[in-house]
Amino acid sequence: MNRRFLIVLLLIWSLGPLFWQVYTSLCSDQALTQPFASIDHRWTLVHYRNVLTSNPPFWRYLVNSFIVGVSSTFFCLLLALPAAYALNRIPRKLSIISRLALVGAALFPYVLLFLGLLELARTFNLGNQLLALSLPYAALSQPLAILLLNSAFNDLPPELEDAAKLEGLSLFQRFRWILIPLISPATASTAILVFLFSWNEYPIALTWISDSNKLTLPVAMARIAGSSIYSVPYGAYAAATVLGSIPLVLLVLIFQKPIVSGLTSGAVKG
Amino acid sequence: MIALLLVPALLLLVVVFVGPLFRYAWLSFHADSVITGLIAISNGGANWLRLVQDQRYWQDLFQTLRFAGVSVGLELVLALLIALLLDQRWRGRDVVRTLALIPWALPTTVMALGWRWIFNTPYGPVDHLTKIIGLGSLNILGDPSLTWMATVWADVWKTTPFAALILLAGLQTIPGDLYEALRLEGGNALICLRRITLPLLRPYILLALLFRLAQAFGVFDLIQVLTGGGPASSTESIALYAYWNALRFLDFGYSATIIMASFILISLICVIAWIALQLIIPTHSKSRGAVSS
Repeated sequence: MNRRFLIVLLLIWSLGPLFWQVYTSLCSDQALTQPFASIDHRWTLVHYRNVLTSNPPFWRYLVNSFIVGVSSTFFCLLLALPAAYALNRIPRKLSIISRLALVGAALFPYVLLFLGLLELARTFNLGNQLLALSLPYAALSQPLAILLLNSAFNDLPPELEDAAKLEGLSLFQRFRWILIPLISPATASTAILVFLFSWNEYPIALTWISDSNKLTLPVAMARIAGSSIYSVPYGAYAAATVLGSIPLVLLVLIFQKPIVSGLTSGAVKG
Repeated sequence: MIALLLVPALLLLVVVFVGPLFRYAWLSFHADSVITGLIAISNGGANWLRLVQDQRYWQDLFQTLRFAGVSVGLELVLALLIALLLDQRWRGRDVVRTLALIPWALPTTVMALGWRWIFNTPYGPVDHLTKIIGLGSLNILGDPSLTWMATVWADVWKTTPFAALILLAGLQTIPGDLYEALRLEGGNALICLRRITLPLLRPYILLALLFRLAQAFGVFDLIQVLTGGGPASSTESIALYAYWNALRFLDFGYSATIIMASFILISLICVIAWIALQLIIPTHSKSRGAVSS
């Protein structure tokens, strides 16, 4: 088959559903029910206005997700960086076993943890607090983060640190001035993957947050969807879908390289 | 001393991963529901006995396995095709690779809502399409025999880019002269695929398979938003059933039992899938023999 044909097919398959949402979000309610007929007054921005002026306004969810994403990423890296470094400095057998356990944890369908984590939130009163969500998020992305950063530390030549040690640099100084700057590409990839995970996570956020002002984007979308199954408020849905997708589409377009290299090195080394 | 640096991360992992699993194992032998006033009371193996006799559980298990098996199978085949396409050199390849990654990056719930509109009867484009090609209005989200396919479709759309990227990473580790050697001996594209690509891609296929299988088995977001488990619980997954039991029926003991059973099952499935794939994909040593002989 022709290669150009396949490429076009791939693009339609990947982006077609998104374009349909964009198209829908710009259609008036009347036009929605006849998507292929020619109608006067087809185009409208009313759905966007409705979504952005609802209570709470839609951008609130984007802000919430952003807060959770940033705090989770920070917390995750704070724990994963030292751990990834130390994983190379413990007895070899122990290190291999730990890495296998981490791979297992990374594969684990974490949704099954929701009940235990819900009890945790109840016991320690962590529900309805955005920042508290970064605790499970940092933990759930910890296995992947440690594995990625560990392989980055592994790739550094050991002479480098020996030389720094001879110069009299303490462990913290070596870490701060030599090792961290050198693995910053891997750290960037990891950070973006953790951010994406936290931004998109649904089951834990669903069970931890009920206050409608504190919902993260995925939960807000599900709540919009759950409000009515049989009526056709799809113009508003589509507008919400588009607004909810834009930040991530931008993120992928801007950070394409670190995302790909993060996923790829995760695969090559895992 | 340095090992101390591991402690904080380890502590967090134990609290979040190991803690719940032990808690489930314990809870699964206790009644903990509205009836007991949400206090755990030991009830021997009653939860497990109930699980064995629970038809809805078995139905959900079948549906979950069907969903996971079909969607992961389709995903891997599609991902391999996409990876092969993206591995070749052509202008604009990097742009296309980035664009193809977008479905993977979007939150599942966002596009699940989008799919609900696309599959909507009678206003969605799919419904128009089936009418045009003469199948009539299929009522995809209202017909139990069709709805699960819509969930598979949406899942394949979202997760194929991820699998494709992993396979692409694998393809890029294969040295080009291997292909040249085989081609010199008169091997065509299909022989190259069977003797070189698949064997050398094996670890990557295994990784993608295990990861996707485990995640698909735990499918939750997509089903909850796209179909709510319906129609007539025909798309309900194990994770969704466990969720209903905990948060709608407030039966934590039974919910924990369902999760515990799923955990054991998915571990078994991953081991079996691993072994099966080891047997199916030809190994590299054979292919090397073929190239040199």
